[in-house]
Amino acid sequence: MNTLLAVIIGVVTVYLAYTLYARRIDRHVIQSDPKRATPATLYMDGVDFMPTNKNILFGYHFKSIAAAGPIVGAIVAATLWGWLPALIWLVLGVSFIGWASDYSGIVISVRNDGNSLSAIAHRLVSPRSRTVLLMFIVAYLLIGASGFTSIMANTIESQPRVPLGLILLTAMGLLLGQMLYRWRTGLVGATVLTVGVTVVGILAGPWSESFFTGLNGAMNAVTSGQPLVTYFDPTAAGFKGAEAQMMPSLLFWAIAVCAFCYAGSVLPIWRMAQPVVYVAFWISAAAMVLGLGGAALAGLGLKPEVAQFVIPAFKGFNPQVGPSGIMPLWPMLFVTIACGAISGWHALFGSVGTARQIENEADMLPVGGGSMLCEFLLGLLALLAVSVGSKGGPVAAFATGLGGFISVFGIPFQFATSLAFAAFIVIVLVVTQLLFRVMRVSLSEWLGEAIPVVRNQHVSSLVCIALALIVVLTGTWIYLWQLLGGANQLMAALALLLVTVWLASVGKSWLYAGLPALFMYVTTIASLFVTGYNLYVNVWKVNWAAGRMVPVFGSAFLIFLVLLLVAAALMIGIDGWRAFQRYRRGIAAPTTAAARA
Amino acid sequence: MNRIFAGRLARARDVLAKFVYGMTGYEFARHAVEMRHEMEAVFMVVTFGDLIGIPVLPPIYSLRLLPYVVPEIATWKRHLARRREFWEKEEYDLHGV
Repeated sequence: MNTLLAVIIGVVTVYLAYTLYARRIDRHVIQSDPKRATPATLYMDGVDFMPTNKNILFGYHFKSIAAAGPIVGAIVAATLWGWLPALIWLVLGVSFIGWASDYSGIVISVRNDGNSLSAIAHRLVSPRSRTVLLMFIVAYLLIGASGFTSIMANTIESQPRVPLGLILLTAMGLLLGQMLYRWRTGLVGATVLTVGVTVVGILAGPWSESFFTGLNGAMNAVTSGQPLVTYFDPTAAGFKGAEAQMMPSLLFWAIAVCAFCYAGSVLPIWRMAQPVVYVAFWISAAAMVLGLGGAALAGLGLKPEVAQFVIPAFKGFNPQVGPSGIMPLWPMLFVTIACGAISGWHALFGSVGTARQIENEADMLPVGGGSMLCEFLLGLLALLAVSVGSKGGPVAAFATGLGGFISVFGIPFQFATSLAFAAFIVIVLVVTQLLFRVMRVSLSEWLGEAIPVVRNQHVSSLVCIALALIVVLTGTWIYLWQLLGGANQLMAALALLLVTVWLASVGKSWLYAGLPALFMYVTTIASLFVTGYNLYVNVWKVNWAAGRMVPVFGSAFLIFLVLLLVAAALMIGIDGWRAFQRYRRGIAAPTTAAARA
Repeated sequence: MNRIFAGRLARARDVLAKFVYGMTGYEFARHAVEMRHEMEAVFMVVTFGDLIGIPVLPPIYSLRLLPYVVPEIATWKRHLARRREFWEKEEYDLHGV
């Protein structure tokens, strides 16, 4: 297998899924009508509801859904099961499930006065489903934020060349916000300055390595080189499991990441979160565009040595992780690769962000479905990069693989690898701060009525960060990631379930959403049980026997989250099934409520 | 033939420009509009709050301003009606996630 063939498979998949399947559903099932008024035109307020050109909205939606998910998921899956199962799931997932979820998230909101999924669930399914959905979302965001913080802290600690670029990224983000909103500088000039300085900081990373190595050493000297926590890590030593140590330097970087996220969460969005995301976007976009182009050109013969897959195509149905854990291909592959194949976040965002700007119904498919198919290409690129890279762990293999693709354009390999590494890190970092921000808002929405102090943004942010830190310092990253994948895919299943109920309530064929909803619902609940079992046998049991209470507490907390997610999903599933049966018997749905976020 | 090709090229360039704008500057433009809208909403509340039942004493200058804000009143009312409280600022900024 070489990269050109994989890129061709990707492009053909996108074309066939869009023209042969998605368009048919749009025309014959949803019957999108360009003449029907959309919420953007009906309730135009110039802010939330604003008819927008489909090409602009396509870029906006794609940028909003493209994050670390498709990259990390593909890397982990290729490492565990080989590149072939990962490729097959990416192709089939996006063709039959992924685009349908994204597209339907927009459709259901557009056809329901721009209401969010939770508001529609409140009306169509049951009043309690809204509260359960909010609780589910907070738990899901907590797992996501903890998983990403864990990846960030571990990577920054082990790669002392990385922090300089991140510090400059933050400083440049703050400067950009000031320049655009206060000094009213032009966007092009401000972009050139801030992105340029950040890129220089990233490329200068190796020169700062000794300083940050010294800083890590100084941190560790506080405890005379003794670890803060010793625990059994089932992913260590090539997934055979080994003793692992959590040093003070890791705690320092975890706190530093949390401090960054706290600022991103409580400062006005224009001051930090938005401009930092913008600067990071250019760095990751440059790496991804160069990488995808390089992958195709390398396969054409320009640099064949970086185009050949070097990892095995298939490593087995149940690779061993830890002494007695299980990692069955079904259901775990389907939650490990999330965003490149299907993602609940996309439907969530589409319903509250994009749907209110849809100018006419004919734009719903190109914006929603088209963005998801592009996201698939991002996942495919990550899979290619990790499949041709052979150095180090999954993240390092991804960086060397992507660096190899970028070097096809004549950029020296070490600089190309630095850029690839930075692209990965900045994507994860900006996503983490936004997850904390959204978690803070969701927590206020969920508990604000009962506990008014939670409505204070500092209190809710600190609660979120404290919870995430506990998980980071006591959890195991691979299970965190799979728990995040499980929660995310379950969110997608619930969104599809809601779409199925809505389709039944308006008398349309519901199969295109119902079958994927059923598959994802069963798969993700099974995956949550597998993750819970792995946490029990690989982390809780082993550390309990060794008398290490910190990882015992952490794994117990994660198992509690697993049970919480499953309980929430079962409640929504039962209510959804009852509502579905009700509408199939011909009972009319309650009338539409006014749009509210 | 050349004209058709040039037309298609121009269209493709336009689509690409809009796509890139959607990924980059559009979010800033939206947020700038949101900030302006928030300030205008505060201004409307303190000058015409009585229109939505907020007991403010309308200053005499409200009458002079009235012709200018009439086109905005329906939108402003609709916007405030979506809030739980009139002073609440919804913050579902999911930018980029």
